Amino acid sequence: MSEHVILFAGPMGAGKTTAIRALSEIEVVSTEATNSDQAAAAKATTTVALDYGEISVNEAEKVRLYGVPGQKRFDFMWTILAERAEGVILLVNADAENPVETAIEYVKEFFALYERGGIVIGLTRADLVPTALIEEYANALADEMPDVMIPVFTVDGRSNADMTVLLMTLVANVELKQAIAPTLSRRAR
Amino acid sequence: MSIVTHLDPKYISRGELALGGLRSLAPSLRYASLLTEDGFSVVNVEGKEFDSNRFASMASSTQALADAVARELRLGDNEFVIVAAEQGHVVQVRVEDHPLVLAALFTDKATIGTSLTAARRTARRLNTLLMAK
Repeated sequence: MSEHVILFAGPMGAGKTTAIRALSEIEVVSTEATNSDQAAAAKATTTVALDYGEISVNEAEKVRLYGVPGQKRFDFMWTILAERAEGVILLVNADAENPVETAIEYVKEFFALYERGGIVIGLTRADLVPTALIEEYANALADEMPDVMIPVFTVDGRSNADMTVLLMTLVANVELKQAIAPTLSRRAR
Repeated sequence: MSIVTHLDPKYISRGELALGGLRSLAPSLRYASLLTEDGFSVVNVEGKEFDSNRFASMASSTQALADAVARELRLGDNEFVIVAAEQGHVVQVRVEDHPLVLAALFTDKATIGTSLTAARRTARRLNTLLMAK
């Protein structure tokens, strides 16, 4: 059985744990602790190491889903988990402060994974903001990184259907990159 | 508005008392930190060469991972965490009834058993100190 390893990253409160729970076919392994920083996000608990879930794409393919903590102080977990990942689903809560800048910041942080497999962005809580955001994110990304193609979706992190679209977009991207990688390396020689 | 745990003077002052006691109990102590379970450093002693915030974050992740393993294997509540390396060991214990973890680094001059006893005694003492008015 072939496997993909996909990371879920993004700021605290974006819905990473919820999204993995919406997708996973196994009981999710969570590492939640009492959230003592209510100013950063008003929620009872926060992920401090990782979330882990699994989903089968078909009979021959499995995707391992790893969620990383949102807070920068846990960035050693980002490094550890990014080492074996092929791509990243970046979730950003659209109703947070400066969400566009946050998205770009995280894209830069996980750019090695863009080059390895891909990044897709899911905007959560987009129904709580008045403007059509996707264009704004796409334009900001194009301005900041003109040669980079990152799909942006609005999603409900609780929705299996929404998250499946996001995940399959990324898996397709990863497989495409893996398929053309030998050709590109032959051309480079 | 309530004070966040890691800035709460009660936790800081009683944490300092307890960690001071740990230093007396275990001369091989190299560094100790009292941290919130979500990885904020409350107080720490010794080891100026360590980044207290990073140590607290890593201890928080380690604690949560160990708890997850115990939960996954249906072993009941996790009691402590030990990371044993060539030149020392880290012992972590939760402070009962509080969202706090005591993480202490000892040199290899002490046995793990001695360090564990000292850390557990300190966590119990801190619990008593925090219960007092």
